[in-house]
Amino acid sequence: MSESATENVSRSLLSVSVRRAWVTGRFFLVYGTGISLLLGVLLAHFSGPSFASSYPLFVPIFGVVGSMGGLTVFTSDRTKGVLEYLIAYGYSPRRLFANVLLTTLVLVSIVVGIGVSVSLGVYFAAGHTATSALTIGVGVYAVPMAFACAAFAATVGVYWTALSSPRAGINSPVGLIPFIGILPALVTLFVIVAITLSGPLSTTTLLLILGSATGLVAIFVIVLLASMGRLLRRERLLSPA
Amino acid sequence: MGFDTNVPDSSVSAGTDAGIDCRSVTAGYLGSRVLHQISFRITEPSIYVVLGPNGAGKTTLFRTLAGILQPYEGEVYIGGEPIDRQSSRDRLHYLTHMDGLPDGLSVREALEFFARAEGAQSRDVDRVLDQLEIRDLSARFPSQLSAGQRKRVSIARIFLRERSIYLLDEPTANLDPKVARETRELILKLSREKIVLYSSHNLFEAREIGRYVLVIKSGQISRFDRIENVRGSRYVLGIRVLQPSPALAAYDHEGEYYLRELSGPEEVPAVLRELMAQGVQIREAREMENPLEDLFT
Repeated sequence: MSESATENVSRSLLSVSVRRAWVTGRFFLVYGTGISLLLGVLLAHFSGPSFASSYPLFVPIFGVVGSMGGLTVFTSDRTKGVLEYLIAYGYSPRRLFANVLLTTLVLVSIVVGIGVSVSLGVYFAAGHTATSALTIGVGVYAVPMAFACAAFAATVGVYWTALSSPRAGINSPVGLIPFIGILPALVTLFVIVAITLSGPLSTTTLLLILGSATGLVAIFVIVLLASMGRLLRRERLLSPA
Repeated sequence: MGFDTNVPDSSVSAGTDAGIDCRSVTAGYLGSRVLHQISFRITEPSIYVVLGPNGAGKTTLFRTLAGILQPYEGEVYIGGEPIDRQSSRDRLHYLTHMDGLPDGLSVREALEFFARAEGAQSRDVDRVLDQLEIRDLSARFPSQLSAGQRKRVSIARIFLRERSIYLLDEPTANLDPKVARETRELILKLSREKIVLYSSHNLFEAREIGRYVLVIKSGQISRFDRIENVRGSRYVLGIRVLQPSPALAAYDHEGEYYLRELSGPEEVPAVLRELMAQGVQIREAREMENPLEDLFT
């Protein structure tokens, strides 16, 4: 394949993967988007200014749940021999990993895009204004942490899928990864709650905690991604012989 | 001759136009060696049946030839070029032992997906839907297909675009006899101008379809020969008759068959003539044991 043909095929692979993720993982997408919307609208409408410090903390959790379709497709493709077929036709494992990651990021952008824009719309429509806490919460934490956590879940899921025997159900990567993927967001949430209970939380401290959490997860994902080529050899992606 | 085994490296240059040139290849999974120093060269379009017990290394051989597994030692050339080049990969089709059908896509969408990956067109998808008689399955998803239908769709993708080499790992597994026969006929047509490596556990199928047999045992090629040259250690003729006859008194029995061990198939006409001369009404005569069975022992 020429370079432009390869690019076209890669784009085509991504669009097909996103569509397949919708077909096979629409429960996750609908559930993640729906709960995010419901919680966002309720908080925006009823909680007043405390929306700014509460809603952003939940967004990454729903982002992870809603984007599980990408990993579902990858796990199924490995078990059913689709990855083997793609490797035989020249797709590198790196390109296949990138495809899972990009599919996941497309899905999380749908969850976050709809959830955050509608919730903020309701919040502003209720007469509230943008505060620095809200800007930090959404700009520094909610959106980037949603992408980072989803990427974290997808990357750990790819490792787990590739390094284990194929299995299905709740005891499989797809069954357990949502719980692992939301851990960074849950830890951050508990830290914020613990600090708030012991005293007032300044904007600077909030910025520091949220920025650090997002940064740490992002660095962890980058390290995992950088190690993929070395740790996940193509044999790991084949169906059982 | 269409093949060579244990080809010395010096006799083959990288620029050779050979179809498949496998030179002292050792390969396996994550450092564990499954194939050991395998060498052979195939140039003649034909069907080469790959036989071997479970775990012998058949699938590993296919994966290595397809460029999926990188050899620990040795080299694989396809059409004279190293397998890691895209131009080499573009010369071959590989059908895995799994169906390889993506979830979430209908049959037609799956074939469109494969067609794009291989640079084929939508009209090729229509052609294979008709060729494989699966147009009525177009809108169904893999989960709505029987095992045989899934295999048929899986096979359809190797007809999307013409290649010079086909690696088919158990293409008729899970197919009912009628569909298996039709599939073999398609592959036989294909093999007139192509090199087809075809793995199977079905020895009768291997004899029916193959011209050459390549036997793998414990990761090594134990035999590579024309199937007609493979003769069993014994040849047992089975005869079914319309009425029992005293002329068959000395024969052994197995079900409805009277058995007689011969030195080879060339003795069969004389034996049958002799029985008919004695008034035996023969309904059927067949070889009771497949000589390829001996290749497994």
